[in-house]
Amino acid sequence: MKKLAVIGLDCADPHLVENFLPELPTFGELIRGGSFARLRSVDPPITVPAWMCMFTGKDPGELGVYGFRNRADYSYHRLQVATSARFRAPAVWDELARRGIKSILLGIPGTYPPKPVRGLLVAGFLAPDTHSTFTYPASLKEKVAGWVGEYLLDVRNFRTQDKVWLIGEVHRLTEQRFALARKLVTEEDWDFFAMVDMGPDRIHHGLWAHHDPGHPKHDPESPFRDAIRDYYRFLDRKLGELLSVLPGGTQVLVVSDHGVQPMQGGIGINEWLIREGYLVLKEYPEEPTRLGELIERGLVDWSRTVAWGEGGYYGRVFLNVRGREPQGTVPPERYEEVRTELSQRLVAIPDEEGRPIGTRALRPQELYQEVNGIAPDLIVYFGDLRWRSIGTVGWRRIHFHENDTGPDDANHAPHGILIAHPGLDGRSDMSILEVRDLILALMGDGR
Amino acid sequence: MSDEKRRTVRIDEEIVHAIETHLKELGAGSVEEYVEAVLRARLLAEGFLAPYSLEEEREVERRLRDLGYLD
Repeated sequence: MKKLAVIGLDCADPHLVENFLPELPTFGELIRGGSFARLRSVDPPITVPAWMCMFTGKDPGELGVYGFRNRADYSYHRLQVATSARFRAPAVWDELARRGIKSILLGIPGTYPPKPVRGLLVAGFLAPDTHSTFTYPASLKEKVAGWVGEYLLDVRNFRTQDKVWLIGEVHRLTEQRFALARKLVTEEDWDFFAMVDMGPDRIHHGLWAHHDPGHPKHDPESPFRDAIRDYYRFLDRKLGELLSVLPGGTQVLVVSDHGVQPMQGGIGINEWLIREGYLVLKEYPEEPTRLGELIERGLVDWSRTVAWGEGGYYGRVFLNVRGREPQGTVPPERYEEVRTELSQRLVAIPDEEGRPIGTRALRPQELYQEVNGIAPDLIVYFGDLRWRSIGTVGWRRIHFHENDTGPDDANHAPHGILIAHPGLDGRSDMSILEVRDLILALMGDGR
Repeated sequence: MSDEKRRTVRIDEEIVHAIETHLKELGAGSVEEYVEAVLRARLLAEGFLAPYSLEEEREVERRLRDLGYLD
């Protein structure tokens, strides 16, 4: 039976892999004997939904999942975390199961709570804790504990200035994820194996300023300037150890869901909407407060509000449409006019020196094959994702050079990696949406 | 889950037999484990079962905020 292993490295970046390649013997061997392509992510290039877009071949609009949290309905306050139940399109492992092919799935974001699969599943970091049923079958969790101790869902308390501790925790996460992968591929029966390690993403966000001389906060004397390079060397060793226990002839794909770039700062999306009169509060908070909290406390004057925003690595803007939202103010016939006006004005927000930052405001209807669920009316990439979207209010300013949720040096870039061994057809660019069909073609009927 | 939180359900013998025969392909260790997983997934998909308790959802959101995905 043919075997295929997908090794997912969240946020592994093509430039970093290329730059560090002389020090990465395993990556080097895979690339020399195979192929290396940039993998274009989806919009938005964020862990959820990107990994499930990869494994279903569907874009976020088709899946109706636009981020970690999505509007459950047109009320103002109901946002739901994207769990496996939101992903209704069959994943590649469902299609493989129809061909009689067994899968092992490890740590893939969007797989909690676990659905039954033909094989085994260990969910990713959206499991609330290890008391939950985070495996399929449920009894696999005891096996996991026996192999590696308590399963590490993620790096806890990520927002820390204690970089020594953070580096140790990221290494510990990767060490365990790969140790578990080795156990699963050697002790269990499989033909298709897919895993995701969150380690690269966590080390990038936590230490990018120390690594990148182009980052505004870079200190060339930082004792952590080689932390990311050292991590990639460590990752290369873990990758090599895993490859060494795969059966001979296994087709290997090393992939990532997006890349990384320096974060230059943040734009207060709701502060800007308030300043420009699109968002009206009954009472401006004395201290920085999440808009969601103000909504829950009834402190938004919806009767005078045109739009509100959500923060994160990218911005989401929702229009308050009459007949759609409970207290909508934008007449449906003016929807496109208001959306265009907002889009143009968001794109024109400069930095604090008045210089353009290259913001893009995207309409879901222009990005996706279909728009299911409740999409944002605009998806905003401040500074083309070099600036974060700050959603909290109470700052009395628009521009930020620190994150409202704690230290973070990086944002996401649209290209990840696709390394194949044996190699593919020599294409240097592929879309993340092509990976599902690539896997199906490589697996054939499994024989 | 403790036995005190479990109830007995009667299922057609033919279904039980089919599960028993294909336990290995189904990836489950027992009929009970498989039936429970299938029902859980179905109820979650229908929205009849919540993926998280309120406390769990708050913890996941706190973690996502901590990681920078939300603010």
